[in-house]
Amino acid sequence: MKPTETIASETVEALEARAPFRFPREMVVGLVVLAVAWEIVSMLVPPFVVPGWGRIFKSLGTLRMDFVLVTLARVAGALVISFALGLGLAVAMYASVSVERYGRPIVRLLMAVPVVCWILFAVLWFKWVEFRIAFVLVVVCAPVFLVDVLDAMKGVSKDLRDMLRSFRPTRAQLFTKLVLPATVPAILTSWKINLSLAIRVVTIAELVGAVTGIGYGLVVAQELFSVADVFAWTLILVVILFVAEAVLTRVEERVLRWRA
Amino acid sequence: MISAGTIEVQALRKVFHQTGTGEAVVAIERLDFVVAQGEIVAIVGQTGCGKSTFLNLVIGLDRPTEGRIAIGGRVPYDEFDHFRGVLAAVFQQDRLLPWRTAIDNVRLPLELLGQEPRDQVERARAWLDRLGLARFERAYPHELSGGMRQRVALARAFVIEPALLLADEAFGHLDEVTAAALRTAFVDLARTAGNTAILVTHQLEEAIEMGGRILVFGRPGKLLADIDLKTWPGGAVASLRAEIQRMLRGNTPEPRLTIRTEKEFRA
Repeated sequence: MKPTETIASETVEALEARAPFRFPREMVVGLVVLAVAWEIVSMLVPPFVVPGWGRIFKSLGTLRMDFVLVTLARVAGALVISFALGLGLAVAMYASVSVERYGRPIVRLLMAVPVVCWILFAVLWFKWVEFRIAFVLVVVCAPVFLVDVLDAMKGVSKDLRDMLRSFRPTRAQLFTKLVLPATVPAILTSWKINLSLAIRVVTIAELVGAVTGIGYGLVVAQELFSVADVFAWTLILVVILFVAEAVLTRVEERVLRWRA
Repeated sequence: MISAGTIEVQALRKVFHQTGTGEAVVAIERLDFVVAQGEIVAIVGQTGCGKSTFLNLVIGLDRPTEGRIAIGGRVPYDEFDHFRGVLAAVFQQDRLLPWRTAIDNVRLPLELLGQEPRDQVERARAWLDRLGLARFERAYPHELSGGMRQRVALARAFVIEPALLLADEAFGHLDEVTAAALRTAFVDLARTAGNTAILVTHQLEEAIEMGGRILVFGRPGKLLADIDLKTWPGGAVASLRAEIQRMLRGNTPEPRLTIRTEKEFRA
């Protein structure tokens, strides 16, 4: 039999030649418009309400950049632990209906507790500051990973499952060849959600008791009534989030290149 | 000793219970027949006659409510792992794993069987080449046409050289030319390898085109006719076609049609 269709020849080549970088014009224009609007407002109101860009950039030069690294290390460490915990528990719940029946209500309960309450619990229960921050981040992020991954595992197509079962895989093979790869898109989405969540939560957690990190920097700025410092720290947080999301999106494009 | 590709179906019955109401739905009323090693059989019938249910029972994905189905003397549901590398199926949808390239989809069953990676690639490549897809081995499923994807699915089924090949309306949704080409490939490959093959279809033309044995299923899951086309001269096939269509409409087995040869039919 000779091939009669040739429609895929171009697409195979297209796959090999990665999509060229596209300048994000719309995003840049939007941000520039916002920055200009901010500068105009800063001219109309006192600088302790809305400082101009000049003041903010001047503050940026005075901030302790090692605090940024500390906060990033806390977020990265907590996310890795949360993911390992969430994935492990998701696999256990997927493998055992009983574990899921007992575990689901507990996870729902944990997710219903507000972040502020977790921070207060951490202050009351633990002495060591780093442990407090890690505890708050993990208890907030791990359930999100767990629920996202478990739902994705349970949502694997029955057709694909039956196809693979017709070849008689072991339980481990069924998991590694089908369930886990099928879950990768949900895992990446969950990372994106949790990254944004963790950066916001870590800042609040650092407000209480920490003597390093961006949250602590914000407390100091507030105590010194330095509005420009507050906005400078906020700008750093936003940039971190933007960069991290851009990196994850790039990873997603690379890993999920099989998607139409 | 019973050959590995022989299928015995005895008083087979399958009843499902609807979720919520618990109401019983009979998918297969009763089936009795034997498919010999190396035989190529088409199962034809209208929607809802239990064709796909029957195939799921053969694969071992489901358990019969009553009766017995055995392949080579072994029960596929009970002795599930025994059939590793013994049977392979092609489904209505290609069911390719979208994150795997064409060649990685074809080598999947070999991975499950624990073959050496080099052997996996060589054999998968050989089958893709045989089915005219050598240039597309690195393409992902979404980059291939429906016919090409179904050919990858065929290669995936044939790569383990199974004793029993099953196709569940595998070519019905494709255009006529592509479907005919793939059907021919399926039958030729099965014949060459000496496999037992069962092709389930709702298209009578497709069943006749295969030129082997036709099992006509009525609703719900009962055998209306068992016909061996090899014993039929071309001219008589047209009248047989009309008779089968009439029988399918009536959904009643007629003794004069429950036959294997034209001679028996004429008698």
